[in-house]
Amino acid sequence: MIDFHTHPVLIREFAEKYPDYTRMAREVFQIGNNLQPLETFFLQMDVAGIERAVLLPVACARARGLAVSSNEQVTELCGISSRFIGFASVDPLQPGAAKELEAAIRGLGLKGLKLDAALQDFDLNDPKVFDLYEAAAALGIPVLIHTGMSWAPGTPLDRGRPLLLEPAIARFPRLNFVLAHWGWPWVWDANALALKYPNVYVDTSCFYYDGPTEFFQFHFQQQMPVTLLERSLRNQIVFGSNYPRVEIKNMVKAIKSIGLTDGCLEKILRTNAEKLLGLSPVKH
Amino acid sequence: MIIKLDKIKVQSRKAEEAIDITPQVDESVAKSGVKNGLVNVMTCHTSSGLLVTEGLPCLEEDILTHFARLLPEDENYHHRRYLDFDGRVGFNAETHLKSILGGIQCSFPIENGKIVRGSRQTIYFMEYDGPLERTYMVQVLGE
Repeated sequence: MIDFHTHPVLIREFAEKYPDYTRMAREVFQIGNNLQPLETFFLQMDVAGIERAVLLPVACARARGLAVSSNEQVTELCGISSRFIGFASVDPLQPGAAKELEAAIRGLGLKGLKLDAALQDFDLNDPKVFDLYEAAAALGIPVLIHTGMSWAPGTPLDRGRPLLLEPAIARFPRLNFVLAHWGWPWVWDANALALKYPNVYVDTSCFYYDGPTEFFQFHFQQQMPVTLLERSLRNQIVFGSNYPRVEIKNMVKAIKSIGLTDGCLEKILRTNAEKLLGLSPVKH
Repeated sequence: MIIKLDKIKVQSRKAEEAIDITPQVDESVAKSGVKNGLVNVMTCHTSSGLLVTEGLPCLEEDILTHFARLLPEDENYHHRRYLDFDGRVGFNAETHLKSILGGIQCSFPIENGKIVRGSRQTIYFMEYDGPLERTYMVQVLGE
C-alpha cells in the first residue's frame, strides 16, 4: 500500500541537523507533537501496512519565512530508504521556478510537484503558476495541490477552493492534478472536478473533527454515497493520511470502514498511486 | 540524602504494547549509589502508562484486551475535536483513559542497594498509542 500524503516535519535527526527545523514545525506547519526518530516514521508505516510513502515539502519561505521541509531534505530521506517517494516544491512566483522544478525532478530524482496556494501565498490563476504547470506537464509528473482547509496559521480558506483550479485543469489535460484533502469542506466541488476531468485525482487525507472512522463514515457514506467512490471515482482516488497530523494506521482503518469492495480499495491504496507515479502499468 | 533522576527513552514498535522495563529500573537504582530509600518510576506521556504485574505474555495480552473492551475506540468521546493549537484532531481519548485506568507510576523501596520487589512483580511501560519513542523517568531517593 502507498500513502500519497505525508509530511516529514517531526524527524528528530533533522531537528538536530537543521537549526530552523523545529521552529518550522511549530510555527509554520503548526504541529504540537513530539519530535520522533526516523525509525518511528517507518514503524508507523509498518503498523498501518504501508509499504511506501510520498513525502511532501512546501516551498513557502517567501511567504512564511521558512520552508516546510526542503527539496534537499526530502531527497536526503529518499536516499536513506527506498520506501520514501519524494515530491518537490517550488515557489511559482520566484524567477526560475520552472528550471528549479526541472532540476529537482531530473537532478534530485523527485517524482512530483507539491503546491499550496494558501501557505505559499500565491494566486492559483497567476500566469506564473501556469508556466509551472507547463513545466510539470513536460516533465510528465503529477501535481499535488493543497485544497480545502489548512491547519497552518495565517492561511486563508478561500485559497483552498477546488474550483479555483478548473482553468488550469482544463488547460493542461495531460497533467494530472491531485486535489489534496479531497477539497474538504468543498468535497462536492472536488467530486465534480474529478467527474468532469479525467486528469483530476483526490487524496483521502481529509480529517478535521470526530475520529477518522466517524469522519469517513459521515462524508463517504452519508454526505456522498459510497457508490460514487466505488463506481465513478475508483480510478481517481489515492490514499493519503496527512501523517503526522494523524497516524497512518487510523486513516487506513477509516478508509477500510466505509464498505468499499476489495477491488476498489486496492486501487485507492495502491494501483492508482502506482499509475500516477509511473511505478507500474495499470489496466482499467 | 541522594536524589538521582534518569530520563530513559523507549521505542514502542506496535500500536499497543507492554514493554518490560524492570532491568532498566534496576540499573538506575544500582548506579545511583542509594543503599536505602525509594525509587519512583513515571511515564512522561498521557497516552502511555506504567504498571506492575506478573511478567507473563498472557497477562500482557489480557491487560491490553480488557482495556480495549472497557474503553473501545468507537465510544462517544468529547476529546474527538479539532485542536487548533495542536495542529490535529484529538481523537485518542481512549488511550488517555487507558493511561488513567492502568496508572502512570509505581514506587518500590530500596534496601541494601537493591529494589525490594515481589518475586513475580514486573515493571511495564504500557504503550496505548504507538508506535512512538517515549520517555519515562526513574527517580531514586535515599542515602
